[in-house]
This record gives sequence, C-alpha cells and structure tokens, in this order.
Amino acid sequence: MKETALLFAIHRLSTDDGPGLRNTFFLKGCALRCTWCHNPESISPQPEIWWTERKCIGARDCIAACPEEALTLTAQGLSIDRERCTGCGKCVDPCPSKAIELIGRPWTVEQLLREALAERLFFKNSGGGVTLSGGEPCLQPGFVSAFFRACQAEGIHTALDTCGFPPWKNFEQVLPHTDLVLYDIKEMNSERHQRFTGVPNEPILENLLRIRDFRTPLGRYPALWIRTPLIPGYTATAGNVTSIGRFLAENLGDRLERWELCAFNNLCGAKYAKLGSKWPLENQPLLDPDLGASLLEQARQALGRPEAVQITGLV
Amino acid sequence: MSHHASTRPPMSPRIQTINRRRVALNIAHKRDLYCDNAEFLVYHWSGKSEAFAPATGEQASSSRINIGDHNCRVDTGMPYPFVDEMPSRQKGLANTAENWAQDYRFFITHSPAVIDPCERIVGDFHWQLDEARTFRYPQEVHDLGYAARQLGAGGISFTHTCPDLSIGLKLGWGGLLSKVRANRRKFEEFGNEESASYLRAAEDIALGIMQYIRSYAEKAAQLEKAEEDAQTRGIYAEVAAVCSNIAEKAPQTLHEAIQWIQFFQIAERMHGHGNGYGRLDQLLQPFYDADIAAGRITRDEARDLVGELFLRYGNYFSLGGRNRELCDATCETSWVCLEAFDMVGGYNHLGVMWHADIDPKFWNYACDVVGRHGAGCPTLLNYELFRASELRSGYPESDAWNVSYSGCQWYCSPGNEYSDHDVNCLVLVQPMQRAIDAAIEQNAPDFEAFWKIYENEVDCTANALRDFKNATYLWQPKVWPEMVTSFCAHGPMDKGRDITDSRSVNNAFTSVNVLAVPNVSDSLYAIEQLVFAQKKYTLAQVRDAVASDWEGKESMRQEFLNTPKFGNDHEGADAMAIRVSEQVREVLESKRNIKGFCFRPSLFQFMGHTYAGPMLGATPDGRKRREPVAHGMNPMHGRNHEGMTATMRSFCKLDFSKYQGGSLQVELQPTFFPKEGRRGDLVEPFATSFFQMGGVQINLNVLSMAKLHAAMEQPDLPEHQEIVVKVTGYSAHFVVMDRKFQEEFVERVNYKTL
Ligand code: SF4
Ligand code: SF4
Repeated sequence: MKETALLFAIHRLSTDDGPGLRNTFFLKGCALRCTWCHNPESISPQPEIWWTERKCIGARDCIAACPEEALTLTAQGLSIDRERCTGCGKCVDPCPSKAIELIGRPWTVEQLLREALAERLFFKNSGGGVTLSGGEPCLQPGFVSAFFRACQAEGIHTALDTCGFPPWKNFEQVLPHTDLVLYDIKEMNSERHQRFTGVPNEPILENLLRIRDFRTPLGRYPALWIRTPLIPGYTATAGNVTSIGRFLAENLGDRLERWELCAFNNLCGAKYAKLGSKWPLENQPLLDPDLGASLLEQARQALGRPEAVQITGLV
Repeated sequence: MSHHASTRPPMSPRIQTINRRRVALNIAHKRDLYCDNAEFLVYHWSGKSEAFAPATGEQASSSRINIGDHNCRVDTGMPYPFVDEMPSRQKGLANTAENWAQDYRFFITHSPAVIDPCERIVGDFHWQLDEARTFRYPQEVHDLGYAARQLGAGGISFTHTCPDLSIGLKLGWGGLLSKVRANRRKFEEFGNEESASYLRAAEDIALGIMQYIRSYAEKAAQLEKAEEDAQTRGIYAEVAAVCSNIAEKAPQTLHEAIQWIQFFQIAERMHGHGNGYGRLDQLLQPFYDADIAAGRITRDEARDLVGELFLRYGNYFSLGGRNRELCDATCETSWVCLEAFDMVGGYNHLGVMWHADIDPKFWNYACDVVGRHGAGCPTLLNYELFRASELRSGYPESDAWNVSYSGCQWYCSPGNEYSDHDVNCLVLVQPMQRAIDAAIEQNAPDFEAFWKIYENEVDCTANALRDFKNATYLWQPKVWPEMVTSFCAHGPMDKGRDITDSRSVNNAFTSVNVLAVPNVSDSLYAIEQLVFAQKKYTLAQVRDAVASDWEGKESMRQEFLNTPKFGNDHEGADAMAIRVSEQVREVLESKRNIKGFCFRPSLFQFMGHTYAGPMLGATPDGRKRREPVAHGMNPMHGRNHEGMTATMRSFCKLDFSKYQGGSLQVELQPTFFPKEGRRGDLVEPFATSFFQMGGVQINLNVLSMAKLHAAMEQPDLPEHQEIVVKVTGYSAHFVVMDRKFQEEFVERVNYKTL
C-alpha cells in the first residue's frame, strides 16, 4: 500500500522545530481545538481551499470551473459555500492569478523523502533534520513511521511535533523511528485544558509518561523536549508554568532535554480570514516581554534545571 | 598562540573618534560616487563621460545620479584649485603616457596632505584627476558605443582590477623607481622608443608619489611642533617618522606596511575609481610575524592599525583561501584582520574565501561576524570556484592559486590581469525583443525556430560590444593609462607597457555583466509554454501586450506571470535559465578582444536592475514596465515561492566555474536567529552547504524592514544614519542611497525563515 498524507505546508531551514536547520512538514488533521490555534488550516483532515483577496483580479474562471456551484463573486469578494465545497480543487488551476490555493495535497513517502534529501547537506552541516508537525501527525501513524524509517535509513535526524492526544498505539508505531519528540504541555489544570483545547489533559500526561519509558528495539530512548505555548489570558500564568515545571521535574528527570516556552505571536489572523472565519485572539496583545522574562524565571525555578529552559519568540 | 575573538572586540576611545569622523563624512555625502544618467547604470556607459561622472570640473554632469557613498575622495564642495596650471592646459593635451604623467605628477604634488588628530594611519584626498584633465575618447569610439547601446550593450574600461601590492611592499617607491630607470635605459639602448617613453612617464609618476608622501611627513612634523597635548604629539611624531621612512624605502614594520598600502590606494584612486587590493592577510603576514617576533607590537595594537585602514576606506580586500601549495592559507594575521573589522564594523567590503580545508574555527567566526553585523560583511565566497574558473579560462596555475575577491562579485589574480570586471554590460532584453519581432515576421513555426532567431540576435549584440570594446582598447593606454596600478603588476614596468595595454599582463579578458537573465529566461519559458506548446496566444499578441505594458490584458499577464519561474527548483524553468546563460556564455567566449583574449560573462550587474525597468519596457514574464528587473541571477522579487533553498538549488544547477561570478543575495529578519546562541552556528552550515552545492558567493543582510522603512521616513535620526547595507556587491549607508535604490531594497524578499 502506498502511504500518503495530506500536507499543507513546508517550512525549509527552520530553526523553530528542533536542533539545527530543519525541514518541517505540516500534516493536516487535529483532534484538538485550541482557541489560539495558529494553524487553523491544519485542523480539518480534508483538503480545503482558500482565497486571497489581494491576488484576485475578478476573472471568474473559478466560478465556471466549480462542479458544486460553491463559488459566487460578491461585492465583498469571492464567497465560498463551505457546505457545498468538497475540496476537489478544480477551481485552483483555472484561476490566472492563483488567488485560490488548495490547502492539503496528498504526498507519498517517496515524494516527501525526495524533498528532504534535497536539503540533506544543510541538515548534515547544521546537525538538523526533518520535523513532522501539523495539525497532529500522529493521527496518520502509518505514514509518519514509514517516512521516519526512510529518513533514518538515509541518516537524517527525525523529530515529531505532537500535542500528545492521539491513542498510545499510534505512538508505539511511530516512536521506534523517532529521534526527538517535541511534546506540547499547554495547561496543567485539566478543566482549563478542556476549555482551551476541547479535550482534557489526562490522556496527554499519560502518554508523556509512556514516552518517557519508551525504548526502541535497539535500546535507544528518543530525546524529549517539552513545549509550552505562552498565550496571554490563557496559559501564560505563573501558576500554570510553575505546575508544569513541577510536574516535569517530578516525572521526567533527566529524560527531559529541554523545555521551551513559546511566546504568543499574532501573525495568523489573515489565515482565519482566508478560511472565512475570525480569529478569536485577533485583538490579543503580544506577550509582554517583562511577563515573559518572569515566567521564564518561574519555570526555571520550578524545574530546578535553569539551563534546560528557554523562551522563544519574544519580541 | 593568542586566543581568538568570539565576540566583538571593543573600540578604544581613539578608534571611536576616527570612526565618528568616518560615519560623519559618509552621511554628509562627502564620499559619494556619481554617474551621469540612468543609461550608465544599465549599460555601464553614459555616452557623456568616459567613466563615472567627474565630481567637479568642466566634464562634471549637472543631472547626475548618486550611486552611494562608494567613493574614497572626500568632497570639499570646491573644484580642484589648480586646474588652470595643469601642464596639459599650459602646454597642450596629448594622448600619450608622458603627457598624462606630467599632469598626474603636477596634480598629486599639488594635492594637500590631510592629517587628522589621533590617526596613526593617515591619508585622504579631495580631487580625482578627471576633475582637472580632460578625459575623452575620439569620436570613432563614441560612434561604436552608441551602435552597441542601440543593440543592448555598453561599457567603460576603467580600473576594476587588482594590483599585487606585495611588489611594492617589497621594493618600496625607491626600489620601484630604480627598476623603472633600469628598464628605461635598456629600452633606450635597444631603440624601443615606445616603451622607453612609457617608462619616462612612469618615473614622473613615482617621483610625484614620493614627493606626496614626503609632504605628509612634513605636515605631521609641523603639526607635532604646534601640538600641546603630549599624547597627540607622540602620534604626529610617529606618523612623521613612518611617512618619511616609506617615501623612498620599502616598509619594514606592520605600521609602515599598512601606511604604504593606504598611500598606494590614494595615489591610485586619485587617477580613477580604484580596484580591489588583494589578500590582506597574506600581504601583512610577514610584517606582523616579524613585529611580533621582535616584540615591536602587540596583537591588539596590530588589530587597531588594521582597523584604522578599514576606517579610512573599507575597500575590497580578501582573507582566507589557499596558499601556493594549495593548503589552507589562514594564519594569525587573518584573525587579526577579521577581528579588526569585527571591532570597527560598518561600511566595508571585506570578503572571506571559504574552501574545503579552511580552518573551521576561522570560518565559523567569519560567519558569526556577518551574522552579527548583518551588513553583508564579510562577503562569503567560494575560493574553490574562483580558482576553478580562472583555470578554466586559461590562467596558469601560478596565477590562479592567488585569486582574490576584488569587487562586487568578481575576483582577480592580483597583478596578473586587466579584465574589465564589472564595467561592461549586455542587456539580454533587447535581443529578445528583436527576436520576437523577427519571429513574427518570419512566422516561426515552433520554439526551436524562434530560439535560432534569438541566438542570432544575441550574437549581433555581442559583436557590437566587441567592436566598441576593441576601439576603446586601442586608445585606452594613450588616453587614460593606469600607471599607478601598473607599478604593482607583473609585466608593465618590465615591458614598458601600461596595464591597460596589450602584451602587458598575463591575462586580459573582457568581462561582461549580463543583465536580466532571469527575466529573459522566464519570458522565453512562458513563450515556449503558452505560445508554442499550448498555443493559447500568438507571438504577435505577446508583442502587443508587452508594448502596451499589458494594458487591458491583466488575465493574460497573470498567465505569463504564473508560468513557472527560475529560482523555484522547477525543472523546465531552470533548464531554460541554464540554456539562456549557456548560450550567452558561448557567444561571448567566441568573441576575441584585440589583446587576444575572449569575452567572459558574469551573471551579475551591480545596479542596472533598479533603473532598467522603464528603459526596457514590459517583458513577457509578466513584468510591468515600471518594475525593476532581476538582480543578477536572483529571482525577481516575489517570484520565489518555494523558499530560499529552492532558489539555491536552482542557482547551483549552473556551473559557476564557467562564469565570472553570480552572487546569491539573502535578506534575513533579525528574528530568524534565536535570541541565545551564536549566529555563526546557523550562518555557517547554511553557507557551507551552499558552497558544497556549487554556489559562489553569499551577500547576507540581517535587517529589520520596519527599521529601514523608518529610516526612509526619518533619515536624520542618529540610529538610522549608521545603518549599512550590502546593496548588491557593494555596501552603502542606507540613508544616503538614492531613493530609487532604497525603494528597490525594501521591496526585496525578506525572510523570517528560510
Ligand atoms: S494542537 Fe496545534 S494544530 Fe491542533 S488545534 Fe491545537 S494549536 Fe492547532
Ligand atoms: S474546491 Fe472544488 S468544490 Fe470547492 S469551490 Fe473549488 S471547485 Fe468547487
């Protein structure tokens, strides 16, 4: 069987998702519904289209091409009836100015590997590799494990960026070929977690402990980084950061290589607009640098290993 | 061994004072370089003056364009005060080296010694010779120039080479003079009047320069007498001693060597635009080692002296590379030089030449310095490809190993060549436009038939350029010899033939910048796809749409614009870019100059892309008339959709040993770099990988677009005045750049991530 996955973005030579220079591949589909989600286009496991107002020249070729009659051109621009739209993508090519983009195209393991191999010199020279992110890559464990296996066979370092919610059996399939796990712990209070993300955090914490104990058949432990998004008004509180830090200190010990606090950025409002919705955090201010610094301090104290904690994305 | 810097060494108060003066001069527009008109930028020939526009004098242009703070001349706002006493005005102008040299000698000996307090390395000048001596080629040359312009080519022949300063550092001006005299007697004895006459002229030059250096010694001595402050007095005394030592004798210490280099640069730049000056670490190493061994100098003092040299001009020098045995040439002096730049920062044109065996710590440091300073300095360069390209062209091994980065995107074997780098241009758009017209007329049935016509048109343009250049070469050594440079070249003073002349130096190719390769290849690819393969449009429709700047044809324009473009690792589009590049290379290489060498393409052009748009009109790649064209081989703004690495892969499909340079321009947001951690640790793998893939040069700017926009709004704020950017291959203070260049710059793709 040819494993394919729906991919919606590639970040090349990224320094954000693991060590060195990396290619991060973003897979579609997520079980969580984080209020602040920066990748709204990642959530649905189906292909979608989006329309960029700036590029549209009003040529109407897309409308003629759509078999579902899902498109109309209104005074406010192109209106997409998302109930009708099947994501077939037939409207994309006819658009002369490429104002409609298909989000989510199927990639085979071989195709993605070719993409990774093209950049392997950068990985080798920087100590980088590939990262699968999303959405939630572990919702497609067969693909992830096949891709990671192929990468490792080529000597390419593999990292998995996960929210930790998928069933454990998915992780069991993926972990043997994973060199590094980037694991999200967003909120320690399960009731708040439920409110922010739509799911409780117990399954996530349980999976984390299992990952801690997981060894590959060759006896290797995958490296483990924890990441916590600092969202003002949500997760960016001293209490939350301290509880996460204590939990990590108690349960992970030296298995934890690094804990990254990721400061909130507000760069994704446009993506919501293109999907025809509004970002709930549209008017949320950026994380105040002083607050960021004090949270970093509290995190370091709670973990007891200051050198392992870092903050990224502060402006 | 001393420990090497990993963070920026601090400037002493004295160096800070000198630095303030440098910045003040630049932002007060005292160091600007001008050209006559936009045609000069596009075709590298204005049809008005024979080089850049003289700043003052009767040949100065009233409507000039400011290229930036690129020059070394310090403007006083006044014309040269002794114009009327110039020998050529008194006794008549003749197109001979002797007549030129008499002017030069008068000119330099009537140029004031400029010494500022607290400088240990001195020397500035206020006027260039073309402000006082008429610089004009005969009409026949101009006629050929206009004919070439008509077909899309042009060029001056002026400086842009690299002397071998080790010749002068070894002999000193006295030694150089003796050599000239001995050779002059030889030619007189054997009745070669042409060479004897040239060497008589050379004597004039040497004597003039020696007198000029002595005037610095005298001025410093006077200042010393008048000075009250003991420390400043000490510096004046030292300057006086150094200048008087090197007026005739060869330099003996590092201080003398650096001062010698500074005077050479002045003496040379006084007669023209100037050159690259070679491998600074190799040039200074013997002096540094001897001083350290003798306990004459500390490492920090050495670094400060090199820093002062950088603060004076910031010319093109290189570090790194390989030595004659092809081993790593990096040495302690390389570190001292790079730390000197790290210390002074700002406007500079230093390059570091990577190769597979370079000291990894030094390379990492170089990458860190450019990452931290963020202004494209040092330029990161691939020595392996430099050398390979020289060997491929036919340079002997003995010339090729010493190759040095010498200007925007070009490199030289110091003292061994005069190859017109960066001063000629072939604009590929015109041959393409003529090909479209001809193909319509001939009813070309398929793309290959169209391509044949295009090939012919490129050949036509190249022929016109060849004829123009050859006419120039015939006159150049008579009209405007480059005699100071000739002193530090291998051949001219032995043969009594100017470096610009034939049968002088070993290598004399004609380098040609090819402008708009990505636009033409993207246009041809779109034509191949939409006209010939898919038959959606006819060539006549394309011609008309382009002629009307796509007026009323937005849908059609979008289709041409959205056909795959070079720089995205797209097979078809990249193959066309290679086909176009290879074709123009083969055509140029098939042409001979009268010195017996071929023409060589460079996939780079230093700024024509900014002004070319309206002059060339719209193009079938979907470009509108007012848009700039592509800078070198870098994809047009907004045309690389697949990220930096895809662009790098497209780039590296070209074999850069076949071309004379083609730089990759990278603009990064500061937020690309994590707050903690050395920037070098990210820049290094990026650059190393690019070079291992076959890339030749990286110009890396790290800058915040928001800050540049703010600087355009409020150029007078002090924090804006110090912003330096690597524009294409050269650096400039952002606030003094011409508005058009600023606009082009801030429109570039600016990567938050790669
Ligand atoms: S887990 Fe990530 S992708 Fe999924 S909803 Fe939350 S933020 Fe978005
Ligand atoms: S993706 Fe398919 S169904 Fe949806 S709007 Fe486009 S053509 Fe219509």
